Amino acid sequence: MQRVFSRRSFHQFLVRCAAAIPGALLSAHALAAPVEAPGFSYVKSLGGIDEYRLDSNGLQVLLMPDHSAPVATFNVTYRVGSRNEVTGSTGSTHLLEHLMFKGSDKFNYSAGTSIDQYLERVGARYNATTSVDRTNYFATLAAQNVDGYIAIEADRMRNLWLHESDRQSEMTVVRNEFERGKNDPHNLLHEEITAAAYEALPYHHPTIGWRSDIEHVTIETLRDFYNTFYWPDNATVTVVGDIEPKAMLAMIRKYYGVYIKAPHAIPVVYTEEPEQTGPRRVVVKKPGELGSVVIAHKIPSGLSPDQPAIAVMDSILSDGKDSRLYRTLVDTGLALTASAHGGTFHDMNLHFMTANLAPGTTQSQAEKALLEQIELIKTQGVTAEEVAQARQQYRADRAYRLDGTDSVVEELNEWIATGDWTQFVRFSDAVEKVTPAAVQRVAKTYFNEDQSTTGWFVPVAKGKLESMK
Amino acid sequence: MKSLMVAASITLLTAAPLAWGGMAEHVDRKKIDGIDVIGYPTTIKDVVTIMGALPAGDAFAAADHDNVAVATLTAMMLDRGTTKEDKFDIAKKLEGVGASLRFNVQDQALQIQARCLKLDLPLVIDLIAEQLRMPAFSQGEFAKARQQFIGQLKNAMDNVQERSAEAFKRAVFPLGHPNHEPSIDEYLTAAQTLTLDEVRAFYRKYYGPDHMTLVLVGDVNMSRIQGTVANAFRGWKGGVDYLRDAKPANLTEPQDHTIAVEMPGKTSIILAIGQSTGLRYKDPDTLALMVGTAVLGSGFTGRLMHAVRDNEGLTYSISAAVNNNTFTDGSWQVLASFAPQLLDRGTASTQRELQHWWADGVSDEELAARKTNLIGTYQVGLADTSGMARTLLSTVLRGRDVTWLDQYPKAVDAVTLLQVNTAIKQHLRPEMMIVVKTGSLPKT
Repeated sequence: MQRVFSRRSFHQFLVRCAAAIPGALLSAHALAAPVEAPGFSYVKSLGGIDEYRLDSNGLQVLLMPDHSAPVATFNVTYRVGSRNEVTGSTGSTHLLEHLMFKGSDKFNYSAGTSIDQYLERVGARYNATTSVDRTNYFATLAAQNVDGYIAIEADRMRNLWLHESDRQSEMTVVRNEFERGKNDPHNLLHEEITAAAYEALPYHHPTIGWRSDIEHVTIETLRDFYNTFYWPDNATVTVVGDIEPKAMLAMIRKYYGVYIKAPHAIPVVYTEEPEQTGPRRVVVKKPGELGSVVIAHKIPSGLSPDQPAIAVMDSILSDGKDSRLYRTLVDTGLALTASAHGGTFHDMNLHFMTANLAPGTTQSQAEKALLEQIELIKTQGVTAEEVAQARQQYRADRAYRLDGTDSVVEELNEWIATGDWTQFVRFSDAVEKVTPAAVQRVAKTYFNEDQSTTGWFVPVAKGKLESMK
Repeated sequence: MKSLMVAASITLLTAAPLAWGGMAEHVDRKKIDGIDVIGYPTTIKDVVTIMGALPAGDAFAAADHDNVAVATLTAMMLDRGTTKEDKFDIAKKLEGVGASLRFNVQDQALQIQARCLKLDLPLVIDLIAEQLRMPAFSQGEFAKARQQFIGQLKNAMDNVQERSAEAFKRAVFPLGHPNHEPSIDEYLTAAQTLTLDEVRAFYRKYYGPDHMTLVLVGDVNMSRIQGTVANAFRGWKGGVDYLRDAKPANLTEPQDHTIAVEMPGKTSIILAIGQSTGLRYKDPDTLALMVGTAVLGSGFTGRLMHAVRDNEGLTYSISAAVNNNTFTDGSWQVLASFAPQLLDRGTASTQRELQHWWADGVSDEELAARKTNLIGTYQVGLADTSGMARTLLSTVLRGRDVTWLDQYPKAVDAVTLLQVNTAIKQHLRPEMMIVVKTGSLPKT
């Protein structure tokens, strides 16, 4: 349930024996060994990924050589997301992400050197996305063209133009992105549930921001935001693909090594969510055809040791036709789809159970059915067979995510934002150790009514909406 | 200082092509029990992606004046149990090994998509065959599938993209053309009256191996797997060819160029402008038109994005593309989103760019940049198993040999400025284009 907004509108191996060798990504990647490179300190390796730090400015670098195709994915993750925003500047992270494509003195459209011109000319698949904990910029392209991309990517870390004229034209672009999202009432319901569930944490507001903030945030505020967070010691560069580590590190040093560390401490979000003392409810009424029900529960940080058990519970509840929600909600004709999924963000997360209603089903019926499934796990637990099946699905996923350099980077990017990239490997290892008792325990611990926020989308007929206005 | 920067830019913009060729040599293609089976081994370990198709899409129901919901509901019955086992047994087998298998109906094709670990490939092939060859077609499951389909249609009625696409295809392709789409209302009515006997009859008439394609990409050894495929599909008969001989959708003077699809409560409107082209993918002018269209509406440096989004700030998304030309003549379309209050300005800017592009053509510089873009994105797209499988399948469905994998970059590179600008002028007529506006339209 990533709340990710993107600038773009278009937008190895593991065999069964890995079950017996948790922690090992038994892939061609794992054969890569860390190298010594001038200016870098080697930090650690796991699962074929080597971590380095650029000594001069603290830039974190993750490399994963994979020579299966002559392509590479280069990604830079900035540890700034909508959790770093306050009222009046909501949506700034995302608006700034858009402005990052507007150019600098060295690389700009007029000179024919803009990032879009370069990356499209070389046929890269590229984009940028903003989420609650991070912003990232990435491209998958022919390995020999990575050098040219890093030159531009590194340049815009500190040399970005931030012109008021660009803010004005890009604001309306972002506003249209906001409007497109509001076309879907189910998205709106999700936003309203999130806003009701979080009182204090900045996860309260949508990553794209409130409309009035998108429209009125000043270029000075955006510049301050840029100058606060866009520094090498607040960023991680990840490169996966057809690379030679030593040459890649030299390239990264050449372009990123020109910067100093941030001259200030990167601000820390110290706000904590107060204890929720009772159930919350929201109702969205808009024109539409079929309703939906979402029940959100508070669950811990993405790095909590309870997260793997929650993931296994979700798999048992909603992965495929053999899942509990499919059998009890979809196959019975109550819902068209039903799902369970928890966030793995940096701070306290929400877990969402969703039922998109079938024709003729009421919200009350679907809500009751969802709650019954949680209650069943709390009172009767899950079977060893169900847990084993969930584990096997994770094992297969470990192999699938190595299919393409961008899928590796995509998952690493999220764990970097959560706070520990090694979870890319360790999370799957932890899933291997989840027991039926652990699943029942997390259900009892977190899935309580007083920690819940329930939302209904109630479609209204066109005529009725007009009479409500 | 300025000249130094220019020199630097020249260095950066001299992009090297991907060192990738001879792909067709690695393709292992065999006719196995009537099925066109295409294997492509890659260096990925343990992962296999399967994509396939057979001619049993919606267009066949329309061509025979059958109930228009029959193709989709027949496909929806495939994973609802077989004569050997029920749907939960099948799901348990697949999910127990972390594999996935889906069937999906498009205009002409039933599409098959699966992913599994190498060890489980025989199991997944067996399940594909079992579900295609011996669906149970039980009355109880049919009732459930019908309700699911009706629910999906009701959701589509509230979806701006779906409604825009529906209106555009109905306006551009005449009734009887394989790309003409029944309306969502027609599907709804049809789904409510469809019988299981009609589903069985459709299945008997169209399902079979004769024109089926199965593509396997990844950690796959064809010599080892062909026995499994042969065993799984042995004795299966039937099937029809795709509707490739359809009469082209001639451009006719529309009574009214603008279609308004009013939907309440929507905050962003979709604008679609386009026409039928009379061109199939394999036709000589198609590639030139596709390259020229990419100059107008592909990526951030395409003219539409640069002018209407970057310079004027009127939209989040605007693009142009050549579509629907796999089996028959297709369409050409600009697609954009605008806030209601910016719709008129956005439409005017889009029309201005379209007219300028059509009247004056593209430049040498634009063509050169777009060629390297198309070649590069094509090659990057082949770097994972699903990208390669999708490309192989679409290549053969379009009537090309697999050697097209290697020829495509050369063919793009060989397109000339004259070919592009001639194709634009010859096959497109902006003054005849249909304009569809979908959403909560501003009162005029």
